[in-house]
Amino acid sequence: MIICVNLKKNKTKFKLYKMKLLKNIFTLLLTVLIMSCSSSDDNVEDLTGQTGDVILKFDNGVGDQDFIFETTYSKSNNESFKLTNLKYIISNIEFTDSEGNTFMYPSEDNVFIVDEEDANAAGEIWITLNDVNAADYVSVTFGVGIDQDRFALGADGQGDFLELASEKGMMWSWATGYKFVRFDGTYSNTTLEDEALNVHMGSVGTSLDNYREITLELPNSVIVREDTSPEIHIKADLEKVWDGITTATFEEGYNQVHTSETQTPVIANNVINMFEVHHVHND
Amino acid sequence: MKDFQNIKKVTVLLLLLLLQSNITKACNKNPFCNNYKEYDFFCDLCSCSTSSGSLGFGTLSNKNFIGIRYVYQNFESKNGIFDNSPITKEHFNTYQLWAQIPLSENFFVSANLPYQNLKRIGIDGNETIKGLGDISIVGWYKLIFYKKQKDQPILADKEASGHSLKFGLGVKLPTGKFEEELSDNINPGFQVGTGSFDGVFSLGYSYRKSKYGVNTLLSYYLKGENKNQYQFGNQFSYNANFYGVFSTKKMGIMPFIGVSGDVYNQITQYNETINDTNGSVLSASLGSELAVDKFVFGTSYSVPLRQHLFGDNVRSKQQLSVYINYAL
Repeated sequence: MIICVNLKKNKTKFKLYKMKLLKNIFTLLLTVLIMSCSSSDDNVEDLTGQTGDVILKFDNGVGDQDFIFETTYSKSNNESFKLTNLKYIISNIEFTDSEGNTFMYPSEDNVFIVDEEDANAAGEIWITLNDVNAADYVSVTFGVGIDQDRFALGADGQGDFLELASEKGMMWSWATGYKFVRFDGTYSNTTLEDEALNVHMGSVGTSLDNYREITLELPNSVIVREDTSPEIHIKADLEKVWDGITTATFEEGYNQVHTSETQTPVIANNVINMFEVHHVHND
Repeated sequence: MKDFQNIKKVTVLLLLLLLQSNITKACNKNPFCNNYKEYDFFCDLCSCSTSSGSLGFGTLSNKNFIGIRYVYQNFESKNGIFDNSPITKEHFNTYQLWAQIPLSENFFVSANLPYQNLKRIGIDGNETIKGLGDISIVGWYKLIFYKKQKDQPILADKEASGHSLKFGLGVKLPTGKFEEELSDNINPGFQVGTGSFDGVFSLGYSYRKSKYGVNTLLSYYLKGENKNQYQFGNQFSYNANFYGVFSTKKMGIMPFIGVSGDVYNQITQYNETINDTNGSVLSASLGSELAVDKFVFGTSYSVPLRQHLFGDNVRSKQQLSVYINYAL
C-alpha cells in the first residue's frame, strides 16, 4: 500500500513538473513573439553632411522584350527594325525627397552617354553617382540631351564630355551641336527590306531646342546613406520612339531623322516618354 | 541533384539493411504494426519565403520521433525585367534534424534544425550559399475527441472517435544568416535564413479510421523585421492529405496524396512594401511512408499546380523530400 501511495505521489509530482515546464516554454515563446513585434525606435536621423552613392541602371527593351543588337522588332504600319547602334545622352539628374527638397548632381559631371554597347551581361548600362546627399528620395528627374545653358558654356565649358561625345559619335559639329540620341540600323516593311535607318536627334545650335526633361516617381523610396548604394532600375522602351505620343512611320521620312525642324521634336517628345522606373533596390 | 542522388542511395541501402535485420522479428514487438496513430503534418519552415512551407512534414505512426530529412526544391527565376530575360536556375538542398518530443499526454514539442545548401546557376556564373538555417520550435496541444458513452460504466476507458484537433504556437529563430546584398535577387528566397524572429500559429484537424485517414493543417507565420530593416511578408500555409494504411505483420506502408499551398504577403523594407513580392502557390503531393520496427522511411514529391510568385518572375518547379525517423 505504502509503495502504491508513493508511486501515485511521484506521478502527480511528475505531472506537476511537466505542467510547469510547459508553462515556462509557452511563456518563453510568447515573450519572444512579443519582443519581435515591438517596433524599433523611429528617431529622426541627422543626415547632415552624410553622402552616399546611387546607381542608375538603364535597361533598353522593346515592349516586353529585352533589346538585342541585330534582332528584328516589329512596329506599327507593318514596319520592323533592327539596330546596330543604340545610344542616348542623359543629363541633369536630380533627386527630390519626400519633403520636396532637391539634390542636383554637380553640373560639370552631370552628363552621361548611355550606350547599349557598354551594357553588362544582364544588358544594363550603369550610371554611378557618387556623393549624393543622404536622404529618402521619392522621385528622380533627368533630361535627354544637352540643355541650352550647358551648350552656352561653349566648347571649353564642356570638359571631358566633348571628347567622349565625339568618340561615341554623338556630335555633328560644334556649331550644330550634340546628337541627343543615335539609333542606327535598318528597317523593313511589306515592300522594302533592310533600308537604312538613322535617327540622330538633337538641338540645332540655339535655333531649335530639343532638350526634354522627365520626372519619374520611384516605386519605393531611394534611401541614400553613407553605407548604402541604392539602385534605380530604369526601363527604356524603344517601342515608344516610333509608337509613342506621335506615331512615326519610317516610310514617311522617319527612317532618316537629322536636323529637321518638324521631325526632331516628334522624336524628342517620344524619346523622353520611353523611360519608366521598374523598381529600386535599397541595399 | 547530386545531393539528392546520394541521399537516395543511402536511404535505399539503409532500407535494405533494416528489412533484412527485422524481417524475422515478431509483430508484437513492432509498435507500428497495428497501431498507426496519425499522420502529422506541419510546415517545414526551412528555407525562406519562396520555399513552400506547406510541403508535407510527414511522419506517420510514431507520434514522437527524432529523424533526419532531406528536402530538394528547384526554382527558375527570371534574371531581368523582360519576358526574354535569361533564366537563373536555383537548387535548394536542405538537410534537417527534426524531432517531435512528448511533454505529456496532450502536449508535445516539435523542433527543426536545418542546414541549407543553396545554389544558383546564372548567366554571370554560379553562386552557392550554405550554412545553418533558421531553427524552429513549436509547442503543440492536442485535443482528442472521444465517442459518447451511454451504457458504459464510468470507469471504462474512453473510446477515441478518430477526430482530433491540435493547436501549435511556436517561433522560428534567426539562426540562419541573412545577407542583405542577396535581397537584390529576383528570388528573395535565396537566403539561408530570414534573419528574423517569426511567430508560428497552427491549427490542425485529423481524422483516422483503421484503414485510412485525413490530416489537415493551417498555419500562419508572423514574420518579424530583421536587423537590415527587411521583413518577409506574413505567410499563410495550408495542406490536406489523405492516406491509406496497409500493414503486414512485419511492416506498414502508408501512401498518401494531398494538396498544399502558401500565400505570401509583400516584403517590407525600410517600412515600405516592395512590389511583386507577394504571391501564392498551390501544389499537389504524393508520397509514402514505410514503418519497420522503430524506423520510418518516408518520401514525398510535390509539383505546383498553380502559382504566382514574385510577379511571376519566380517559378517553383518541384519539391522532393526523403526522411528517416526513429521512434522515441
